Amino acid sequence: MNTVLAIQDLSKHFGKIRAVNNLNLTVEAGQVFGMLGPNGSGKTTTLGMLMGVTNPTAGKFLWFGEEPTPNVRRKIGAVLEHPIFYPYLSGQKNLELNAMIKECPAENIPRVLDLVELTERKDDKYKTYSLGMKQRLAIASALLNDPTVLILDEPTNGLDPMGIAEIREIIKKIAAHGKTIILASHLLDEVQKVCTHFAILKKGNMVYSGPVDDVGKGLETVEVNADVENLNEILLTFPGTSSVNLENGVYQVTMREGYHGKALNSFLFESGIVASHLVTKKKSLEKQFLEILSDAR
Amino acid sequence: MLQLLKIDLKKLTSYRTFWIICGLYFITLLMTTASGMEFLKWLARTVEGFGQSININRIPLYHFPDVWQNLAWSSGLLKIMIAIMVVISITNEYAYRTIRQNIIDGLSRKEFLLSKVYTNLLLSLLSMVLVFLVALVTGLIYSSHLNIDYMFDGVEFYPAYFLEVFAFLSFALMLGILVQRSGLSIILLLNSYLIELIIKENIDDYVPWLIKFFPLESIMNLVPMPFARYAFQQIQDSVSLQAVAIALVWTFLFNYFSYWRLKKADL
Repeated sequence: MNTVLAIQDLSKHFGKIRAVNNLNLTVEAGQVFGMLGPNGSGKTTTLGMLMGVTNPTAGKFLWFGEEPTPNVRRKIGAVLEHPIFYPYLSGQKNLELNAMIKECPAENIPRVLDLVELTERKDDKYKTYSLGMKQRLAIASALLNDPTVLILDEPTNGLDPMGIAEIREIIKKIAAHGKTIILASHLLDEVQKVCTHFAILKKGNMVYSGPVDDVGKGLETVEVNADVENLNEILLTFPGTSSVNLENGVYQVTMREGYHGKALNSFLFESGIVASHLVTKKKSLEKQFLEILSDAR
Repeated sequence: MLQLLKIDLKKLTSYRTFWIICGLYFITLLMTTASGMEFLKWLARTVEGFGQSININRIPLYHFPDVWQNLAWSSGLLKIMIAIMVVISITNEYAYRTIRQNIIDGLSRKEFLLSKVYTNLLLSLLSMVLVFLVALVTGLIYSSHLNIDYMFDGVEFYPAYFLEVFAFLSFALMLGILVQRSGLSIILLLNSYLIELIIKENIDDYVPWLIKFFPLESIMNLVPMPFARYAFQQIQDSVSLQAVAIALVWTFLFNYFSYWRLKKADL
C-alpha cells in the first residue's frame, strides 16, 4: 500500500495552549480516514498545518513521501471549516479563479458543478447561495483538479438532514472512485457510515486510531425480554452473563468474552423460555467514542 | 508572473468597488491634470491681488518642458485614492478569509504577495502612462513653439512618478497586511502623513539630515514641487538620484515586511 500522508511528532502550540501535541499518524491510499474529536480537540489546526496555512511549532509531515510544497497542495482538494469564496463572484467565476490557482484546465468546471448539482445556479453570486449550496460548491472546488486526496473538515456542518444525506452521497461517490479522503467531523454517525479508518483526538493528543470495522468487536450486549417473572435471575445463571440491567422494560445482558447472542438464545430455550425479544447490539462508534474519551482523561 | 497577475485581476475585475474607485481615480487624474489653466483662473478670481501681480496667461504651466514636472507632481497628490483601493483589495482577502483558501488551493505565500505586487506595478504603470499622455497632449496644445532640443527636458520625472506611486502602493499593501482590517488600515494610511510630519517637525532642530530618509518624505522627494519657479524661486528641476535610492530602499523594505509578516502568520 502507498502511504499518502505520514505525520511525525507534529505539534502546534498557541502560547500555553497545546492545540496539537506530538501527533503521529499515517494515512494509506484508498482509505476514508475519519478524524474525530470534540470541538477544540485540534482537528482543524492539524488540517491547517497539513495544508500550509498554519505553521507547525515542531515536527513534520510528508505528503506522498515528499516534503510539503505548494505544488503538492495543488494535488489535494481541501475544504477546511467553512466554505470560503469571494462573495461578489458567481460560483462559476469562483471556480475559474480556483482553476487558475490550482493550474488545472477550466474545462473541468462543468463536470464538478454537475456532480454537486449546482449547474443551474452557477452564474448567481456566491453570496446568494444557501449554506448547503455553499458546502457543495466547496466540494466542487476541492474536486476541480481531480485530486488523489480529498480533505473535508466538517462538510455537513449546519446542514439540514437532506443536505447531510446529499453530502454523504457525494462523499461515497467520490470514495468509490478510489480516492483517499480525510474527513474531520464530530458527527460520529457520519464517520461510521462513510469511513474505513478513524482516529480520535482529544485536547491535541491522539487517543485512538484504528479501522472502523474494529468498532463493535469486543464485548457484546444482548437485549432480551420474555414473559417470565424471574427472567433476571435466570439470565444471571447463564455462564456467559457478565451483568444484567433493566432498561426501558428490556434486559440488557452484557456478555463475557467468547459468548454470543446465539448461545444465550439456546440457553433460554433449553431452560424452557421463549424470548419475545432478542437483539444482539453492535457497539456504536458513538458509544466507543465516549468510552475512549472518558478513559483518556 | 503573468499568471499571478491574471489571478489577482480576476478577483478585482468582477468587483464593483474596484471599478468605481479606479474609474474615479483615473477620471480625476485626467481632469485634474488637464484643467490647470482653469485652476489658475480660479486662483486669480479668489485670491486677492493674485491676478494683478501675475498675469496668469504668462505662467507656462503647460508649456514644454515645464509641463512634465508640473503634471507629474500634481498627479502624485491623487495616489492616495488608488492606495485605498489596494488596502481594500488586501484586507478583503482577510475579511473573506480567501487568503487562507488561496494558500490551501496551492498558492505559496510568496506567490500570493507577488500577485498583489504585480497589480500594484500595473496600476503604477497605468497612472504613469496616462499622465504622460496628458502632459504630451496639453504640451502640444499650449506650447507656443516647439523646440525638440529642450522639449523633453524633465521627462525623467515619469519614471520617478512611477516609483512614487509604486512605493506608496507598496506602503498601503504593507499596512493592509499588518493591520488586516480595512477601516483601520485606511485611517492609518491617511494619518501616516500627519504622524510623519509631527515626528519630522520635532526632530528638525536636532537631526535635520535625517528628514530626507523618512519613508513618506522620500516618496514625496521623487518629484519635487515645481510651482515655486513661477514666483521666481529656485527649484529642483531634475530627479535626485539620492531620493531615488532612498525611495527604492523603502519600497523594497515595505514589500519585504509584507512578505515576512505573511510568511510568519497563521492564516
